[in-house]
Amino acid sequence: MDELKFRRQAYADPHHQSPEFIKAIKEDPKKAAFINELNNLDQQIESALNIDVPSDLSDKLLLNQQLLQHQGQRKKAAFTVALAASIAFIAGISFILFRLGPVDLSAYALAHVHHENKALTINGNIPYQDVNTKLASLTNLSNAKFTQQPGKVFYSTYCDFQGVKSLHLVMQGEQGKVTLFIVPMENRMQLQDAFADSKLKGLGFKIDNAYMLIVGDNNKDINYVKNEIKQSFI
Amino acid sequence: MLRHWRNKKSTSTVSSDMLNKQRRYNSLVKALHADIYRYAYWLCGDKHIAEDITQETFLRAWRSLDTLKDEKAAKAWLITILRRENARRFERKQFTYSDIEQEELQDTLSPSTENKVEQHLLQKQIERLALEYREPLLLQLIGGFSGEEIAKILSLNINTVMTRLFRARHQLKQALEQPQVRGQSHG
Repeated sequence: MDELKFRRQAYADPHHQSPEFIKAIKEDPKKAAFINELNNLDQQIESALNIDVPSDLSDKLLLNQQLLQHQGQRKKAAFTVALAASIAFIAGISFILFRLGPVDLSAYALAHVHHENKALTINGNIPYQDVNTKLASLTNLSNAKFTQQPGKVFYSTYCDFQGVKSLHLVMQGEQGKVTLFIVPMENRMQLQDAFADSKLKGLGFKIDNAYMLIVGDNNKDINYVKNEIKQSFI
Repeated sequence: MLRHWRNKKSTSTVSSDMLNKQRRYNSLVKALHADIYRYAYWLCGDKHIAEDITQETFLRAWRSLDTLKDEKAAKAWLITILRRENARRFERKQFTYSDIEQEELQDTLSPSTENKVEQHLLQKQIERLALEYREPLLLQLIGGFSGEEIAKILSLNINTVMTRLFRARHQLKQALEQPQVRGQSHG
């Protein structure tokens, strides 16, 4: 190890541990003295660097962290509350809008029949007095009733037309079964005279304060029931 | 937010996680705050700024304590944060002592006794070292890092680091050997 290289290494790091470096120190007392001198310098520098640390610094650091954490928790809590509040608000608004929006009765009736296959398989025999009792409890329809049995009624239940309580009847047509919905009149409802999808056909008309929707497999059955109703419903 | 919710479900593990984190942080503060503060002081040359930077550094460390995987690397990790904090000081354009001529500095390190005079001179001399020479020396003597580690922290070539260490020590040694010359030069 030549002199220049040794001095560079010694100045850069007097505690260097490479065997070559240590060997050079051992072999040359001058080099050893030089290293000793540098070690003394390092000690001096180290004690010069070793300035006093404020005694309360570590406490301050811990306190700051606790405060930060506390703030963070409060922010999180506030955020959660705000989020919950806005979800509740939007739910409320959409519920109101949903209820006020226009209702397409025909589409709803078709969907209802498709959805409730079970209703068409029940073979009850319900007297028209029972149906009248149910009609009486519908809003705006307390005076409506059947004056006589409108053919055979297999099934009768309440159902919900987008928030409007309605009556759902399954009746005997000329051949097959036909579904009849009696829906109290409301401004937001839209009724089509005739409607259909790939399987079912439907007819809509008004009697007094009620919308009548008849859904069935073919026009014959539907018209048959329509005539029955016109004769018996007032 | 999602993680927050998920965590809520297992409150017991969360609180023990938090406790763990708190313990790690406490021991980090205890073990390293003095070194970090000293490093900050010699970086910026002002006790109050050094304290501020130290506080910012530890707050940042707390926020991202989960990213510290190896406790042995904690010191280098904190110093990296500290150097970034110090650099941020200049981005904010709050120019302070470091931009003033070193000769105009307040004499905050007054010697109390005769035998401290030399130490005081040395401190002045360290302050006067250019930052690029001072910082590797701080890392070596306060941080206890090897040449390779210093090179990594400062993103420098190892040869550059060794050269700077050489110049730093050389300058300090010369200044100590001729104190009267230096004294006259600005007396």
